[in-house]
Amino acid sequence: MKSTIRVFFGIFLAATTVTATQAIAADGENIFKAKNCQSCHYTAGPAREKSIADQLAKKGPELWYAGSKFQSAWLQKWLQDPAVIRPLAYNSLSEMNLGNHARLAADDAVAVSEFLMSLVSSEVEAGVIKPKNHPKGRLIFRKKMPCSGCHQFPDRNKISGGMSGPSLVGAGSRLNPDWIYAYLKNGQVFKPFKDMPTFAGLLRETDLQAVAAYIATFE
Amino acid sequence: MLRQIQAILLFICFGLLSMGSVYAAGAEQLFKFYCAQCHGLEGKGNGPNVTESFATDPRDFTDRAEMEKLSDADIKNVILDGGPSASKSELMPPWSKTLTEEEVDTLVSYIRKLCKCQAKQ
Ligand code: HEC
Ligand code: HEC
Ligand code: HEC
Repeated sequence: MKSTIRVFFGIFLAATTVTATQAIAADGENIFKAKNCQSCHYTAGPAREKSIADQLAKKGPELWYAGSKFQSAWLQKWLQDPAVIRPLAYNSLSEMNLGNHARLAADDAVAVSEFLMSLVSSEVEAGVIKPKNHPKGRLIFRKKMPCSGCHQFPDRNKISGGMSGPSLVGAGSRLNPDWIYAYLKNGQVFKPFKDMPTFAGLLRETDLQAVAAYIATFE
Repeated sequence: MLRQIQAILLFICFGLLSMGSVYAAGAEQLFKFYCAQCHGLEGKGNGPNVTESFATDPRDFTDRAEMEKLSDADIKNVILDGGPSASKSELMPPWSKTLTEEEVDTLVSYIRKLCKCQAKQ
């Protein structure tokens, strides 16, 4: 008898947590709209860009697969204290990113992050990539391919690398390793027009996995 | 009446002119979107990626003497297959999976305009 009660109670608890999470996500969506976040970010997939001009007209990165791309702890923190990710201003080659992104209070950030983490893409297979300081991945990233020419990354005690791509410093806590691989393998699903070259087809799948695992170790 | 005709003619001329520049923007847009990050908006080899840690300077496309050493096929191949295919730096990416052949041809002519030079035959 006691155990049946416990089971019932357990089910009740589980059910309320699920609905509570959904309620927070719905809250988050309202806050997202109220704060005008959608004036720079779209949140309904699939990708809308049909030309370079469409990409250049955007005022901020697309967020329709945010739940597949980011780690929720990072997202919650960043929304409260947004540090520069792209060294240059969005879609600019001549102006610096001034780091003046909108910021949210702690409880709003939790709710918005819950909403954004609910936006996922079926293209991202879970559990494929484990962070690993892969010698092959390292070789490709630093020597064989031009990755470091466009991306900042942690290079022993300093930061090296180019400026046109998002900084990969801290990618280990910011990005979902499985998304990194999905993006390298099938980038046009997420970004039909991007100034990063496509490497799928030039590098083997195992090489793409090795680079993804290597990037996922960046602190 | 004459004024009106003049105005209409002017309007048509402007229309044609801007159509011309839309066409030209194809090549310019491709160059600025994909290549300028390293080669610079004017092709001088000084894009924002070229910081101290950038090991090899990207080609300056306005350097006539250097550019005349390359044939159009040389340029096309290095764009498609990247620096190492021509024994150059790996920092010059391979674009074969990103750009169509047609787009690459457009870029070759655009680069020739930047260097104001003839292809090596
Ligand atoms: C004026 C346009 C603008 C508005 C309004 C705006 N953002 Fe952004 N957002 C940007 C830009 C530009 C970036 C890239 C920042 C960077 O790289 O440092 C960005 C980055 C982000 C990112 C990280 C995405 C990535 O791929 O790196 C998230 C998450 C985000 N914004 C959420 C929000 C939320 C939530 C709001 C509303 C409170 C909001 N943004 C309002 C322009 C905007
Ligand atoms: C010519 C410059 C360039 C090169 C070379 C390049 N990237 Fe990128 N990369 C970019 C740009 C620009 C973006 C952002 C695209 C966008 O959001 O539209 C990007 C995005 C990324 C992202 C997603 C980052 C984020 O936060 O959204 C990863 C991961 C990445 N690149 C890895 C690589 C790897 C691995 C290589 C080498 C195999 C590489 N890049 C080579 C320019 C480059
Ligand atoms: C990540 C930076 C980067 C990007 C982006 C880039 N290049 Fe380059 N490019 C270089 C570097 C570095 C060199 C010089 C290589 C060397 O001299 O070893 C170079 C050299 C060249 C050369 C001369 C090759 C030779 O044989 O001398 C051509 C032509 C060229 N790039 C065309 C392009 C075009 C077209 C684009 C855009 C589709 C482009 N590049 C994008 C870095 C880049």
